[in-house]
Amino acid sequence: MKWLKRDHTRLKKLLIRAYHEKEKPDVDELWQISVMRHIRSLGPVRSERGYVGLFEQSVWRLAPVTGLLILILIALLLTLDFMPDYEMAKIFIDDPVEFTVVQWFGV
Amino acid sequence: MNNGSSKPSDEEIVRRVIGGDIDAFESILLRYKDHVLKIVTKHVPYREVEETAHDVFVRAYQSLATFKGKSGFKNWLSAIAVRACYDFWRKHYRSRELPMSSLSEDHQEWLEEVMSDRSDQSFDDRVSQEKARELLEWALDRLSPEDRTVLELVYLEGRSGREAADLLGWSVPNVKVRSLRARRKLRHLLAGLVEV
Repeated sequence: MKWLKRDHTRLKKLLIRAYHEKEKPDVDELWQISVMRHIRSLGPVRSERGYVGLFEQSVWRLAPVTGLLILILIALLLTLDFMPDYEMAKIFIDDPVEFTVVQWFGV
Repeated sequence: MNNGSSKPSDEEIVRRVIGGDIDAFESILLRYKDHVLKIVTKHVPYREVEETAHDVFVRAYQSLATFKGKSGFKNWLSAIAVRACYDFWRKHYRSRELPMSSLSEDHQEWLEEVMSDRSDQSFDDRVSQEKARELLEWALDRLSPEDRTVLELVYLEGRSGREAADLLGWSVPNVKVRSLRARRKLRHLLAGLVEV
């Protein structure tokens, strides 16, 4: 059977009306008493967030900045043509203190 | 700030509750009981309404300190109510403890009548409305909690993507994509019934 737009619109109208015509139950006073009893049993509301909550909040606030920083560093490394092996060897040779220590150990 | 003769504002009651006056929460309960029940009734089965509405107020109390008053207390509470209903279906979907509604041949015949009738015959009678409701429940039972909730908010309640996103705490594109998929699934389910 073809689902013509006209048919679909009619069915949609019927379904929407059926959805909105659900009857709301009348809750009695006992329900209210039971909700309030439950709430009183919970004790006072904590107005301050715990350390974990504060930590979570700050972590998520810093996440975009951290992400941006990582991207900038990657871009910087790519543009500078950074070669880790070469740089390490350069530092190793250039730094006399490190070099002496290395010699001392006989490496 | 209100004078002594008028009712205290929601923000004022919230401040009092946070300040340690737990009983002041009863004013919120009385003020928004009907509003919460109206939302919950639309989203969960009739027999689960009271328990879910109870859960909504407990959740609201527990997260009262996070209420900032940006969009008003009513909207804030509505979001809690919608999320509680969504969680109800997630829990039910995992455990499958509620029986799925089933359809009889009458429902199929009714749907065929609606789909095939070219005249402007009225489907206003009580029986027709009941059939439509049962058919809708049958179809919604076969959708995931996400699809179900989005379909109810956007397709059946006519809310915008932004409104639904605010209520559910999702992104607008997520709501739009989900809404499109859910509508397609609903259409597929109903079309399958007619083609049987």
